Amino acid sequence: MRLLLPFLLLVAALVATIALDRPLPPADLVVIERSDCYTLDPQRMSYQHELRRARVIYETLVNLRASDCTIVPGVAERWESSDDGRTWTFHLRDDARWSNGDPVTSRDFAYAWRRALLPDTAADYSALFFEIKGGRAFFEKRKALLKAFAEKAKNGEANSGDLEQLQRDTMLAFEEGVGIKTPDDRTLVVHLETPLAYFLDICAFPPFAPVHRDTVERFVSIDPKTGGYVQRHGWTKPGEIVTNGAYTPTVWRYKRDMRLERNPHYWNPDAVMADSIECRTIENPNTGVLAFESGAADWLTDLGPEYKTEMLAERRAYLERFRADVDAGLARGADLDDVVGALPPPGEGERRDVRGFNAFGTDFFSFNCRKTLPGEKFNPFHDARVRRAFALAVDKQQLIDRVTRLGERVSSTLVPPGSIEGYPLVEGLGFDPARAREELKAAGYEDRDGDGVVENERGERFPTVDILYSTASPRYQNLALAMRDMWKRELRVAAECRGKDSKLYKEDLKKGNFMIARGGWYGDYGDPTTWLDLQRSDNGNNDRGYSNPKLDAMLNAARVETDATKRLALLAECELWLFNEEVPLLPICNYVTVYMYDPSRLDGMSGHPRLEQDLSILNRRAPANAAEGAGARNPSEGSR
Amino acid sequence: MSAGGTSTDGTSVGGLLARRLLQLPLIVLAVYTVTFLLAWSIPGNPLENPEGRRPPAEIAEAMQKQYKLDDPVAFYFDYLGKASGVSWALGKHPVPFDLGPSLKQPDWSVNEILGTGLPVSISLGLAAMLIALSIGLVAGTIGGLRPGTTPDYLTQLLAIVGISLPSFVIGSAILMFFAVKLRAPAIGWGGETVFESLVRASFPAFTLSLPFAAYISRLVRFGMIEEMSSDYIRTARAKGLPRWKVALKHALRNAFLPVLSYLGPATAVALTGSFVVEKVFAVPGVGQHFVDGVLGKDITLVMGVVLVYSTLMVVLNLAVDVLYRFVDPRLG
Repeated sequence: MRLLLPFLLLVAALVATIALDRPLPPADLVVIERSDCYTLDPQRMSYQHELRRARVIYETLVNLRASDCTIVPGVAERWESSDDGRTWTFHLRDDARWSNGDPVTSRDFAYAWRRALLPDTAADYSALFFEIKGGRAFFEKRKALLKAFAEKAKNGEANSGDLEQLQRDTMLAFEEGVGIKTPDDRTLVVHLETPLAYFLDICAFPPFAPVHRDTVERFVSIDPKTGGYVQRHGWTKPGEIVTNGAYTPTVWRYKRDMRLERNPHYWNPDAVMADSIECRTIENPNTGVLAFESGAADWLTDLGPEYKTEMLAERRAYLERFRADVDAGLARGADLDDVVGALPPPGEGERRDVRGFNAFGTDFFSFNCRKTLPGEKFNPFHDARVRRAFALAVDKQQLIDRVTRLGERVSSTLVPPGSIEGYPLVEGLGFDPARAREELKAAGYEDRDGDGVVENERGERFPTVDILYSTASPRYQNLALAMRDMWKRELRVAAECRGKDSKLYKEDLKKGNFMIARGGWYGDYGDPTTWLDLQRSDNGNNDRGYSNPKLDAMLNAARVETDATKRLALLAECELWLFNEEVPLLPICNYVTVYMYDPSRLDGMSGHPRLEQDLSILNRRAPANAAEGAGARNPSEGSR
Repeated sequence: MSAGGTSTDGTSVGGLLARRLLQLPLIVLAVYTVTFLLAWSIPGNPLENPEGRRPPAEIAEAMQKQYKLDDPVAFYFDYLGKASGVSWALGKHPVPFDLGPSLKQPDWSVNEILGTGLPVSISLGLAAMLIALSIGLVAGTIGGLRPGTTPDYLTQLLAIVGISLPSFVIGSAILMFFAVKLRAPAIGWGGETVFESLVRASFPAFTLSLPFAAYISRLVRFGMIEEMSSDYIRTARAKGLPRWKVALKHALRNAFLPVLSYLGPATAVALTGSFVVEKVFAVPGVGQHFVDGVLGKDITLVMGVVLVYSTLMVVLNLAVDVLYRFVDPRLG
């Protein structure tokens, strides 16, 4: 029967393609992420979910303990710094091993850090490595060497001898000029440009992780035309990748899943909970929630915006019912998850498998502080009085209650409170419309003719305020519209919102084509400078074009202060001044990150304000009692 | 009908194959050029994170150079040479058909991304066509044999629903019921057994199949109505053959021909147009890579997907034409 032929062909092809798909056994821990890792090369990564995974794949010199964000030994078992804080010596442990059994040596670190300093690698965080003595000079030197070689090659004058000379010169420049020394395999000495109080914190940052030199080198070649290193990334794939952390990736199917298995040679296996972790990528936020609801995962790392408000309200309803138990538990000093996990299951309209955390990030709007706008147009926000007026006229609590509706913590400064040990609480400007109008008046603007719009003394109206936001999420459109109305009402200025696709928005930000623009920042390391440096004149992320020698001087003074307490006091003074006088940006609130996980089934989540989660300590809880036995059901069984 | 409709000029299968295969590079080159112009004109810089921090200026510059993004003309020819295999044939590049590194995902080449995504998208598309054919043939035959009766109205109603309801609505409803309420494996792809894989694939495949099933059922219904009233059927009936035998052995065969020529372009659409279904069911196919590529101006990824899909499209249409001649010897 010829008619059946197409059917048979289809069936055969279908069964063949499906049977070829490799099955995986269920993992001990299943995590759902919104996006996959772009890279597993620690020197090149910059996204939060990549860094989180890197923390369990690679081990840095020291580790950041997730529960309280203190520094604990990692590959280095001990370390000391010189009195001037410029020289650090790390003593590596004997039993640190790569997943192929090779010992982890100081040379692996030197190699990885050199990669980060090479312009050929184009590492996002190379600026952090410029803190190392001679780091920036080496970067510039290599660039100059490459340029000279490329010129020569273009004219056809370069030969293989030149190519070798180029690499030799590079190595020499590194060995002689850069403050990374390896007296022996167990010792790493680092010289810094200036003392750096938070250097250990940076050493725990995944871009500072070592890589397995022999494996990486197999994928590096030299481009004879440019002399540059061509780094292919085959070495990050399962089967090739060699790691020194708690886990090793054994399967990675792009935008589908990554499977992590214990590194058999990891020196500290007792600190690692799950034997295997499956990280699934589900881009659609709706599907992610449904997958979690169907029991397919232990942790959904990013709840879609559509659900947040409603689900958090259901959690509040649940906690309200057991308020007495929760308060008593917390008073005992117990962890909130432990207390909530032990309560009776939620009823109708309640839930406990969702939790919002204040993130180590601040949502803000930037003022354009440049002298003029593009096209030499007048920029009223160059005047700090105008910036203060606009900041004072925003009722942030109302924005939280009516617009964002996630119960965020209002902020008037950049550094999230309580996130950095020893750093005091700094308050900036609050909501004060009367003072806002005075500031605007002092800047020369008041409603002189009674038409409801402010003018300067020449009778010229305040320029229409151009508010730029990105359309990636409705959050910023809503915030921009609400603030526009507040400014119209309180300050009597005309304002217009301009929504742009995130790429175009980014372009406008870079060009300074805005008066007020949506911003936001997540901290990289545990020091106020990860926030305050943003305002430095030469900072690449200073979208505001804010430039003030006084601020640069204050930050430099804090840099060379070796007394930790005094140093933090100097920084606090700087932030106080910045957000009461200068106001280069208008902080709105700290971001809230919403996770889905059931505290009766999962243990090990950290509520520390820096919100670093350690995948290696997340653990399924044993069933609480027989009656509630379904409590610890293996999630992947549920999806079978 | 599509470019791959029916040719009735009576050339041999061999001639048809030769002519089409000669056309292939020209078609693909035209598609490549148009896509390149469109992709290059997307504003923005693919090497910049749309959200979050940006690397130092010197790093950004180094990356631009690394990927030849500072020179569109050089990029056009360089990429074309590597992707087509010409550079390889000339000994200038170590591997043929190199679609380049993904600009957004430094760890993945476009070949690797397509290598993991394409089998999934193909399985999903094939499964959807299979379901569409089954539903469409049964529904169309039922309706076509007894036009104007309740079963006919019912199947037509279903066809209208299938065409008009967007797949993300149907998909979400299916997920709510099967995945959340019944806890069936419906999200993602693959499973521990082939059976589980098939069950998991069936939900997105069904969702994807509905518009095709609806269209096929209408084609079959019209075909059946026409064939059943034709002379040869009446003769067969007069000879005393049972109605079902006449319908299935003779009428359906001719009514099926329009479906067959629809199948080529439909399969291509099912393969390439499944990105909504892929997103809803978290199926790791090519569709989501393509959409993310366009949004992020990942030019190499966009170009790679378009090149592979346009080749696939031409080849599928050709396959259907060959099949057509096999099923209907009148064209041979």
